[in-house]
Amino acid sequence: MGYVAVKGGTTAIEESIKRLRYERLKDGRVIEVEVIKSCMRGLIDRIMSEGSIYSRDLAALAIKQAEGNPEEATFLLRAYRSTLPRMHYSRPIAPKDMCVERRISSAFKDIPGGQILGAAYDYVHRLLDFDLYNESKREILQWLHLYTETFSQEVPEDHGKLPKVIDLLRREGLMTETERDDTEPQDVTRDNIRFPTRRSERLQILTRGETGAVTALGYAAIRGYGIVHPTVGELRVGYLPVHLDYPMANSQTEDDVIYIGEIQVTEVETLVPEVREENGKAKIEFSIGYGICYGQNETKAIAMSVLDNCLEKSHINSPVHDEEFVLMHIDCVEATGFISHLKLPHYVTFQSELDSVRKTREGKQHDEKI
Amino acid sequence: MQRKRRTTILVKSGKQLAKLFAGEIIQNYPVVTVQEPQNGLIMIKMRESAQNKLFYLGEVFVTECKVQVGNVLGVGIIQDDQPEMAYYLALIDAAYNADLAETKRWEAMLTEEENRIMAREAQERFTLLKTTVNFETMDVLGGATN
Repeated sequence: MGYVAVKGGTTAIEESIKRLRYERLKDGRVIEVEVIKSCMRGLIDRIMSEGSIYSRDLAALAIKQAEGNPEEATFLLRAYRSTLPRMHYSRPIAPKDMCVERRISSAFKDIPGGQILGAAYDYVHRLLDFDLYNESKREILQWLHLYTETFSQEVPEDHGKLPKVIDLLRREGLMTETERDDTEPQDVTRDNIRFPTRRSERLQILTRGETGAVTALGYAAIRGYGIVHPTVGELRVGYLPVHLDYPMANSQTEDDVIYIGEIQVTEVETLVPEVREENGKAKIEFSIGYGICYGQNETKAIAMSVLDNCLEKSHINSPVHDEEFVLMHIDCVEATGFISHLKLPHYVTFQSELDSVRKTREGKQHDEKI
Repeated sequence: MQRKRRTTILVKSGKQLAKLFAGEIIQNYPVVTVQEPQNGLIMIKMRESAQNKLFYLGEVFVTECKVQVGNVLGVGIIQDDQPEMAYYLALIDAAYNADLAETKRWEAMLTEEENRIMAREAQERFTLLKTTVNFETMDVLGGATN
């Protein structure tokens, strides 16, 4: 069978693009980017995390353009990201520098600094609130005034910085102390990954993974496809300051850095008990699963910590412990791109398959006649 | 005032103070824009708390600008698309690098602004800390709770 080159569809494609615009505008209404930024916090956080670029403005714009479709918005952000120069690398950000807005532990009731519930859906009735149909700006402003006027002159002393729960376990010797490792991380956006991967590559891929995919695999790990049953040692949501070494001098002193702003992240450490042999004796201690992502996306961060722990135990024969299985299938752009390509014309390959099917049928009919 | 503290105050303060300082420099000295405000990315290097290793968390969208005040260079870098602010920050940076007389006057204003920022953050924190759980031990007979 020979190939036949064909062309066509240009007008239809142009009309399809107009139709897409029509679908977005047909009710004669537009949503402002600023409104998306103010009112769609959860979606923005998810898009920034999966798009792997922190900008609430750009995420809101992508959401508007994609009509709220997360995979399309993520694609738009990643595509825009690829056009921008990488100007600098930040100084290493330490989790202890987080200004904490929410912090809970499922492992300990009493933790230094306390359990701070912050803002979360965990404590509300998950019932549709029909009053929101008629929410007015006047009511909102009134509520905001009432809420904020209860401010006090008392100044909390913690400045939002709280000790880590896992450090308590380390001090008790229930967890192995780890040496600080300053090895430069690998960058999966610059170099293709090779298996087995390094920890830095795994964490980078997990943190930019698609929320649903990371959650599904994390769930599978707990449900029976992995040998982990974690406890959330600590879950924090808060802001991390971003500093750069001053680019116009060799000075790298702590006080000579540039502050460029802050990023909100969710960070989770899950504790997984495991048995280790030491001097011929079985010893139980905790290993840690680490999860972190842009914005407030607690399910994703917990699931990431579960998968991180699974991938540290790659000798276990199970899909969620197989780094290729996990890391190659959780990226939103790669997964949706490959699935979407099935919509592209496969006329020649399908004709070839059709020919094979026809020949098989013909052969069968011929055999039946004999 | 050291760069870290100064840039923290200026970025957290918003455009007004930076514009005021930058205006003084523009008025009193020859200014050349070496690099127009340009969008770009900063890769976040993160230290994870499980094994104390470094990895890349993702990138942050920024605006960067470079200027020259007299013979001295300055750079301004700020999160998101903020061309004016990046320009002001670059001018202020150059002014400090050149040790201009104006910077001495700015110190008191920066300190005052820092106090305002700290007070605002403390107030926000006060509201937030209302969500801190106050556990009360219950008298439960014949069983433990999870």
